[in-house]
Amino acid sequence: MKPKIVPSFHYKNCINCGMCVQACPVSALEMSHKGKNGKYRNMFPELVDYDGCIACKQCVSACPMECVAMASYYEDK
Amino acid sequence: MKSCTGKILVVDLTAGTTRVEQIPDEVYEAVLAGKGLGAWYLYKNIPADADPMGPENILGFCSGALTGTGALMTGRVNIVCKSPLTGGWGDANCGGVFAPAIKQCGYDAIFVSGISDKPVYLYCDNKGAEIRDAAEYWGMDAVEAERRLRQDAGSQKKPCVAVIGESGEKLSLISGICNEEGRIAARSGVGAVMGSKKLKALVLAGSKKMPCADRVKVNKISKELGRKINKVVLPPGMGLSLAVGGVGMGRMPAMPLDGSVINYLFKEWGTPSNTPTAIMSGDGPLKNWSAGPSEAEGPSMAIEFNPDKINKIETAKYHCYSCPLGCGGKLDISKVGYSEFYETHKPEYETIQAFGALCMNKDLDSVLYINELLNRAGIDAISIGNTVAWAIECYENGILTAEQTDGLELRWGNTQAIIALVKKIIAREGFGDALADGVKRAAAKFGGEEYAMHVGGQEPGMHDTRNDPQLGIHMVAEPAPGKHTIGMAIQYGAMSLCDICSWAPPAKLHNKKEDLEPTETMALQSKANAAYSMLIDGAGGCYYAEMMGVHMWKIVDYLNAAADWNYDGDHYMEIGCRIQTIRQMFNIKHGYDPAAVVLPKRMQGEPPLKAGPLKGVKLNNKEQVSMHWKAFGWDEKTGAPLAETIESLGINKLMEV
Repeated sequence: MKPKIVPSFHYKNCINCGMCVQACPVSALEMSHKGKNGKYRNMFPELVDYDGCIACKQCVSACPMECVAMASYYEDK
Repeated sequence: MKSCTGKILVVDLTAGTTRVEQIPDEVYEAVLAGKGLGAWYLYKNIPADADPMGPENILGFCSGALTGTGALMTGRVNIVCKSPLTGGWGDANCGGVFAPAIKQCGYDAIFVSGISDKPVYLYCDNKGAEIRDAAEYWGMDAVEAERRLRQDAGSQKKPCVAVIGESGEKLSLISGICNEEGRIAARSGVGAVMGSKKLKALVLAGSKKMPCADRVKVNKISKELGRKINKVVLPPGMGLSLAVGGVGMGRMPAMPLDGSVINYLFKEWGTPSNTPTAIMSGDGPLKNWSAGPSEAEGPSMAIEFNPDKINKIETAKYHCYSCPLGCGGKLDISKVGYSEFYETHKPEYETIQAFGALCMNKDLDSVLYINELLNRAGIDAISIGNTVAWAIECYENGILTAEQTDGLELRWGNTQAIIALVKKIIAREGFGDALADGVKRAAAKFGGEEYAMHVGGQEPGMHDTRNDPQLGIHMVAEPAPGKHTIGMAIQYGAMSLCDICSWAPPAKLHNKKEDLEPTETMALQSKANAAYSMLIDGAGGCYYAEMMGVHMWKIVDYLNAAADWNYDGDHYMEIGCRIQTIRQMFNIKHGYDPAAVVLPKRMQGEPPLKAGPLKGVKLNNKEQVSMHWKAFGWDEKTGAPLAETIESLGINKLMEV
């Protein structure tokens, strides 16, 4: 199967600001991932609509912390 | 301006039309966007005799100059109008996601005039705007309506929704506008104006890229701040130490705070971190502003409202758009007494204090429940809290009888009666109907004016002016009076404005006896504080970014990078002065008399408190306000901006644009 380019998140430096989610033109991202960030109950961004992602990279440019990168993935079905 | 779209959407609900207008660059140069753009547009376009609830009033939703540029903490939307509560300038702002959504539709602001003959909502996406029928959503609470509108939009981009609840629909003058199921722009009666226009909601589903001159440079500034905030972690179980801190703060002059303190407190608890400190220090009003902590069960109140208790039921932190701090949260209230709801946003300090110590209510569960009731109704917690506290004091003193209150036993701390009264006010039912327009109008009807705490018609935020005379200046001199977010000494100390502004005096110890006497230095400090607050609102920044101080949240660097400008702090502070002066000019144009606005006697220390940290404190607020106006270049007696000030700020020319 041909891989698809989708955003991948590096949570360690993520500040949970949601700018990547708001930038996504097709709402393929959501702040719904419960990360492991010590005691805080922070929600992290994740790709919730794999098919919907149009690989526009707006999430990448919106992130000030450089936590979002595009990566090749095979659809996990 | 390269960080703005240069366009606004103008909606006329009477004619049922929408059109896009270009805004010349010199407007952004003069007032930025956000509240500045709103002040410019409303001053020009609302006629002097306009009825705030009539078709000529304009309701503006304004996105900030830094929103969407990559700058952190810039998710505030400023909502502006002529206030039906005060008759003068009105504005309110809130976080959430609505501010970037405006820009993603391709506008910097949306201005709505006219009145529709039936309930409608405004829908916008990349293709443009249209006015749609809202009959099926009218009557829904704000949370339910937002969920349904989002679901029904059918857009590729999940829409952002600003919506009124029952209180806005029923034209309560203390109602606000909600987004994100509980973030409310609550002040000035903006919800009533939206309700008067029969406008249920704005649904924004645009996905356009938001402009910025140099995103790499902006991101670099954000990265530095984001890293600092990510490192901030407090050890667990520190909640009650805040009360101990409050006792200390109440007994000794306070040092200027470092702005980074805000990071620790608000990341850990959000604004509920204020509660124990405020109760014990004299900052938070108790028993309708009439008592010190020792007379009003302060220590047990501080224990009940320990923010660690709230954290225990927090299921997730809530961050507004672009905020690394995340002072909000989602709480599981399914097991909380009273509640038919399963979730609520974390209540703000203002809500906790207004329905806790102000009403002598020692029941956190009830406050969580009331919080959700208010969020769904879309009503201002500060205003309704002051109004309920007034009703209790009137009842306790025989001014109100059980016959008048529909049988409610309005005693201090009677939780059930407080909840029942809140529901009546929201539904405008029986006794609640007269209270739904705020405490000034309720007292005019029933008496008890001496217990009615309002400044120029608007109820004051939950911070005591006797504890902070600078706050007293802003509460009165601010064009939208009664607000606690314009300035105070503790905030001034944290901001270090003297490092970017040549005329801003350095901060010093405060809460000293000398602070009760008006001085030129204090007038300059309050001027700088108000001007910086306006600058932040023009940029779309958060109040807590402001409190972090200029060395942490670098507004000058942010604006220069985002707009490709090269101005210094003095230039930007002049923009803040200009915005503030236009807002005051709006008041003068509309017949609002700034000199008639006074602090309630209690907030001036008349009679002085008999015990506690504020014992014996009396303010000379009138003279302090007069000196503040003079510092702004406004008439020291009337508060009207002087002709030479208007000229020197270039406002006459700006109004011709």
